[in-house]
Amino acid sequence: MPLALRDLQAAFAAHIMGGDRADLVAAVAGDTIAAAARLSVHRHHVFESLGTALAATFPTVQALVGTDFFRGLARAFVGHALPAQPVLTEYGADFPAFITAYEAARDLPYLADVARLDWALNLAFHARSGHRLQAADLSAVPAERLPSLSIALAAGAVLVSSRYPLDRIWETSQPGAASETVDLDSGGSNLLVLRRPDDAALSFERAAGAAFQADPAFELSTSFARLLALGAFAALQ
Amino acid sequence: MNPVAGIGLRSPHLAAIGRERPATGFLEIHAENYLVESPALHAVERLRADYAFSIHAVGLSLGSADGLDTAHLARVAALVKRLEPAWVSDHLSWSVSGGRYFNDLLPLPYTEEALEVVVGNLGRLQDALGRQVSIENPSCYLGFADSTLCEPAFLSELVRRSGCGLLLDPNNIVVTAHNLRLDPRDWLDGLPGPAITEYHLAGHATNDADGEPILIDDHGSKVSDGVWALFAEVVKRFGARPTLIEWDTDIPPLGVLLDEAVRAASMIETVVVAGGQDAARAA
Repeated sequence: MPLALRDLQAAFAAHIMGGDRADLVAAVAGDTIAAAARLSVHRHHVFESLGTALAATFPTVQALVGTDFFRGLARAFVGHALPAQPVLTEYGADFPAFITAYEAARDLPYLADVARLDWALNLAFHARSGHRLQAADLSAVPAERLPSLSIALAAGAVLVSSRYPLDRIWETSQPGAASETVDLDSGGSNLLVLRRPDDAALSFERAAGAAFQADPAFELSTSFARLLALGAFAALQ
Repeated sequence: MNPVAGIGLRSPHLAAIGRERPATGFLEIHAENYLVESPALHAVERLRADYAFSIHAVGLSLGSADGLDTAHLARVAALVKRLEPAWVSDHLSWSVSGGRYFNDLLPLPYTEEALEVVVGNLGRLQDALGRQVSIENPSCYLGFADSTLCEPAFLSELVRRSGCGLLLDPNNIVVTAHNLRLDPRDWLDGLPGPAITEYHLAGHATNDADGEPILIDDHGSKVSDGVWALFAEVVKRFGARPTLIEWDTDIPPLGVLLDEAVRAASMIETVVVAGGQDAARAA
């Protein structure tokens, strides 16, 4: 009795993920190349191609750990959670959390935060451009309404906080950057990752960190003006 | 007759194409790479003024017994509406089961049940887009013992029942024929030629499986001599169609793709002109 198509596809899916399925192997025509060897072509492609997609989304993680370690990490993640849909730039939201629990990365406690930064850059890169808040927009708001005004961050703007110097780690991991030792105990970082409204460039704004650290020297008006100029805020609704 | 040959638009070439606007027949994009906002999508919108576009989907999973992913279908439909491409296509394969996406073009058994599944999904897709979609013959690494139809017969019946077009890939025919011990020229017999809307050409690799060579459709090299020979046979039998050079791994400089497209165009011209002379002599 042949497998119904839905059952065949479920068996194929289970086989690819490593649960060797005798019913599937029996349904595949083998010859001097056995059915199992033919099926392994697909198993190999699924893991390799999704690993390549993760490397494209998390380039800083790969630069830090090297391609061999990253391949093992990516294979483990793919085995843990396949994409739920076919847009691969949207695959990997759970990768940073997975790294936190990944035994082989235990000696790299900053790696999950680096992955969060890569993910934030990915979100910013794919953010809608849209209108951004400009100073002139605020001048049109009556003064008595200003204190209660709610201002949202622009689409794709993400804050990434870490106890490690993520900005220095990121800079020294860029292609062509001079090799440099980063002191992991040199202080944490609070980064604002955002998409510039006018081009494809991404911008780090270290000043945003000041707002979180209750720095006594924090100047609201200067910082706000700077963020406004960067296009960090969504237009008023 | 001016045969058209184009290239697959890949991100490493986007800046050069935007700057230099090289002469090529058309550009093809993978739908799934343009479903979120990005500078690349905006670049494609600007290129529409100078190039015809083809949208080639890789993730609709037309062979899934679970049916189509409604959300993904809506996103692809929105992209087609936005870019108004000259052609839309996907593959005779499946890639989704149980809500999980495998990022591979997985094989179908060629049975009446599978045919009904694909006809149903494809009909839903064509209705959503309000236009014909072309289906590409896959590269196969295995066949199913329970298949009752050969692949070209399955495709022919799909065309008859759904009104879809065919995207014929001679490289995939060479890969499938080698791996499943078929004759690539026999494979062409009985195909409904008028349904063919586009040709694809790409390179393949040779790997080892159980100590024997197995061909892998990796789109990572120039078109092989064997594929060029089959392409000449295809054009002789079915005529000229828009022809695409695809390259997805180890992507070379843009000029290499453009040269391959020129070679495809000149081969089409040679075969079609020679065919015309044969026809004139026969008359």
